[in-house]
Amino acid sequence: MVAIERGSLWVLAAAMALGLPGAALAGKANDTLVYASDSEPENISPYHNNVREGVIIARHAWETLVHRNPKTGAYEPYLATSWTWVDPVTLDLDLRKGVTFHDGSPFTADDVVFTFNYVLTPEAKVVTKQNVSWMASTEKLDDYKVRIKLKGPFPAALEYLAGPTPIFPAAYFKKVGLDGFAKAPVGTGPYRITSVDSGKGVKLEKSKTYWKGSPLGDVAIGKLEFRVIPDGDTRMAELMTGGVDWIWRVPTDQAKQLESVPNVTVLAAETMRVGFLQFDAIGRSDSNTPLKNEKVRQAISHAIDRKAMVDNLVRGGARVMNSACFIDQTGCTDEGVPRYAYDPAKAKALLAEAGYPNGFDIEFYAYRERDYAEAVIGYLRAVGIRAKLNYLKYGALRELNRAGKVPIYYQTWGSFSVGDASAFTGVWFKGDEDDMSRDASIKALLDKADTTIDLAERKKTYQEALSAIAAKAYLFPLFSYSTNYAFSSDLAFAAQPDEMPRFYAARWK
Amino acid sequence: MTAPAPSSALAPAAALEAVPPRRSPTARFLRRAGRNPSFMIGATVLAIIVAMALFAPLITAYDPYDQDIARRLIPPVWHAKGSWEHWLGTDKLGRDYFARLVYGARISLLIGIATVVVSGLIGTALGVAGGYFGGRVDMAIGYVVNVRLALPVVLIALAAAALVGSSLETVILVLGLLLWDRFAVVARSATMQVAHADYIAAARAIGCSTRRIVLSEVMPNILNPLIVVATLEMAHAILLEAALSFLGLGVQPPLPSWGLMIAEGKQFMFFSAWVIAIPGVALASLVLAINLLGDGLRDVTAPENRS
Amino acid sequence: MLLYILRRFGVALSVALTVSIVAFLLLHLSGDLALAIAGPEASPAQVEQVRIQYGLDKPLAVQYLDWLAGALHFDFGRSFYFRETVAALVAERMPVTMTLGAIALGLALLVAIPLGVVAAVNRGGWIDRAALVFCVLGQAIPTFWLGLTLILVFAVNLRWLPVSGNATWAHFVMPAIALGWYAVPAVMRLTRNGMLDVLASDYIRTARAKGLRWPTVLFKHALRNAVVPVVALAAVQFGFMLGGSIVVEAVFSMHGLGHLAWEAIGRKDFPVVQAIVLLLASIYIGLTFLADLINAWLDPRIRVA
Repeated sequence: MVAIERGSLWVLAAAMALGLPGAALAGKANDTLVYASDSEPENISPYHNNVREGVIIARHAWETLVHRNPKTGAYEPYLATSWTWVDPVTLDLDLRKGVTFHDGSPFTADDVVFTFNYVLTPEAKVVTKQNVSWMASTEKLDDYKVRIKLKGPFPAALEYLAGPTPIFPAAYFKKVGLDGFAKAPVGTGPYRITSVDSGKGVKLEKSKTYWKGSPLGDVAIGKLEFRVIPDGDTRMAELMTGGVDWIWRVPTDQAKQLESVPNVTVLAAETMRVGFLQFDAIGRSDSNTPLKNEKVRQAISHAIDRKAMVDNLVRGGARVMNSACFIDQTGCTDEGVPRYAYDPAKAKALLAEAGYPNGFDIEFYAYRERDYAEAVIGYLRAVGIRAKLNYLKYGALRELNRAGKVPIYYQTWGSFSVGDASAFTGVWFKGDEDDMSRDASIKALLDKADTTIDLAERKKTYQEALSAIAAKAYLFPLFSYSTNYAFSSDLAFAAQPDEMPRFYAARWK
Repeated sequence: MTAPAPSSALAPAAALEAVPPRRSPTARFLRRAGRNPSFMIGATVLAIIVAMALFAPLITAYDPYDQDIARRLIPPVWHAKGSWEHWLGTDKLGRDYFARLVYGARISLLIGIATVVVSGLIGTALGVAGGYFGGRVDMAIGYVVNVRLALPVVLIALAAAALVGSSLETVILVLGLLLWDRFAVVARSATMQVAHADYIAAARAIGCSTRRIVLSEVMPNILNPLIVVATLEMAHAILLEAALSFLGLGVQPPLPSWGLMIAEGKQFMFFSAWVIAIPGVALASLVLAINLLGDGLRDVTAPENRS
Repeated sequence: MLLYILRRFGVALSVALTVSIVAFLLLHLSGDLALAIAGPEASPAQVEQVRIQYGLDKPLAVQYLDWLAGALHFDFGRSFYFRETVAALVAERMPVTMTLGAIALGLALLVAIPLGVVAAVNRGGWIDRAALVFCVLGQAIPTFWLGLTLILVFAVNLRWLPVSGNATWAHFVMPAIALGWYAVPAVMRLTRNGMLDVLASDYIRTARAKGLRWPTVLFKHALRNAVVPVVALAAVQFGFMLGGSIVVEAVFSMHGLGHLAWEAIGRKDFPVVQAIVLLLASIYIGLTFLADLINAWLDPRIRVA
């Protein structure tokens, strides 16, 4: 406990009068880029969280076998120097020599074999199983060559190897276990994690041993610091005063205003994240829920003016989505997929047909962009559906939904920045924990599409599955997201549509 | 945070000063009230707000739930871009801000009153029992009050709201179950003072039942200090609701409560300050009015020589 | 005196025990713990295994005693969310909240006591009235609004103080003001009333009659006596502040107990919530016990009662 004596108060008063900046370690002068966001990964191990903040850290501290060039979309060598498909379910990869982990140990085939086999075990409790479940096993061919056996043909394999499948150091991980790894993680990436404080943030430092010639290019900024600041206004105030250098997801209203603040640059860019409504179509939350009725779900879909939401609330390059995926993902299409035009009269008629002429009361859940959720609730109210908002933290909502207690919610999905439709539909429609409709026929279609090698055939099958999803209104896609980035004008930063800030490519002006 | 004076036995609850003489005539009350500025100001402001709440549909033609997101965030009329169509402007979803404010008064008052009814019943029952019976009963009740005081209010309210889900009913119930301590302390002391009065002894002597004595002899004589506590706790409850809304576990949107409006207007604080200032001023006036009324009431009902 | 201390201690201890039962039930009302620990993907067999491993199959009373035994050693189990023990999380956050509470209390006393003295000396004068108005007005503002206004004025516009966090002493200034704000009226009223009582007392009149200078009388004799109950109130206020720091910590993004509790509630991480409830309650109980002792020491009448 701190004793309050006259002396210390005088020090405080002096600090106030002199306007001491405190420990402002942010900025160009200290070569430290401080970035802030609202949530933090529950576990820093990339396989053990599914929040975007975790993905950002993963892409800076770890590396994957394949690199996808964000500009061209081409797959380039990364930890693997080359690869060949032996057959549709066998992939051989040659590994890069001379790469070392941050703890000094060399990267070899053992690390790849360990990582991929470990994440497939049930004990690993990987959070997003779809990211790895396409693999059957991985074996070592020699010290720098591995073979991945697939469960079935999976055309998106390289996309996944370029994203949510970083390589862990086998020996170190075995020694410290997952808990130890979460506290002191080790990877091969351009930045080394120097400290992890739960609830506060993560500090990273440029790795001195990072290999030359990486497709990431030369890393310019010496230190990164991730700060968890739960309150959006506090984040904005920190940016305006130079306490942090970079924030994102600034609400559009504020972003417009921030543009007028000196020394702050604002950037709006569309992302792969899609906002959508999902319904308890099989009555897990309540066996009599109106949402079991297809007509009710369709009525809801007709009740919401997505264009008005995009034009007035989301803005900045967002688009209305009509399919249960992000439109630019491979395999995603909205051609021939049933659409729901904004038509409140029709919505009311459908509700009456379904036996709810006076609407009904329902609990509505959301975890982010409260304004969007409230706008949806406002539209629902206009057709007679009285929804009450329950606003939870992401983890709590995920658990609640997995326990089958959510009748309807506003959800978003950024597909782990994977540019393939399977990264979206696989999570929400293949019978796993997050699948609220659990329709076997749709799962069968998706299974087929995910494993079809022929691109045209694959697209056709996705189109069929997406049409079925839309026809039954299991999931009502709203729009793609636009993210507003705001950062110090000292910083040269470029945004990419995959919602993955690349600080390794940023530099000070 | 919003907790004002603790109701521990240490802090002499100010309301204790106000043990009234028996049955002061209404006329005398009114005469004294009329001369008390804080009572008059408080009562007037509160009356305006209550009238707003009661006659909401007559005061505004807009539905507080009607959204038009193409016409969102219109500033109030005194702004260059404002207009009389929405004289207090519109909120982030294009809902008429004045309509939300007027209907929001209902919710905020409801929270304040309902919470005080629940907590008042609990606290008074405990306090009167402790003060009247004394001895072991009093000790047991004092112990319960101590336990309640040891529990951090905001934390428990948040945890409870998280457990059962947050809604208007939850907020009222949780706050009602938490904010009774001051009622208990004041009711206990006031009862103790009257319990030994002659008329109580007389009532006992002629064989009146305990229930009858408590209801018709004790209660009327401890009512005034309890009303003062009620006003303070009402203000407290309304502020706590705002805090819970800010922390995400208060009243559920789209219900228009002032606390929720402030919590939601917070994001416009830096650039469109009126969004938070309008409900903020409304809430502050309500809390202020209730507090002034409470203070005034204390002075007005106090024995002659004290004021 | 000793008897009195022992009795108060007994009461404090039993209150603490009751609070611990409340905290314990809080966790057990939050749902099936075995399910929560095992995770949503666990098979029924795994859940059963967890149930036995954590002793969740035992009767509730036995579980409570086990938990209490652990809590006495500062062992509150593991967080459901963070991969850490609750004790480690709490120990890390505790100093921030304690420091914040201490500074807030210090500031509140620094403002409230002089204000109370001035108000009492000028009883009925404009300073007295202004102080009372300030008290009522101040209470009418929600904490988070006050906090954000401070940020807006002192951090964004004037650039005097950092916005958020708890890295340096400067970071504690605004949160302490926001937290201490609500303790000012209570302390001020108590000081004012105490001063009025003391000033009306015989020995002050005697002191004045003896020709002592007014400031000497005021500060050396009157304030010294009037401030005594304030010390006891301050101890209790400190307990209230620790419980109330949750909003302030959220606004200023300070990583203290309140913030941890808020995050834990949002994530339904009830072992953490439970530990914090118990801890804050224990501190409050300890402080009231202390306050009782101070009061008894200063006012012998209490001891007899």
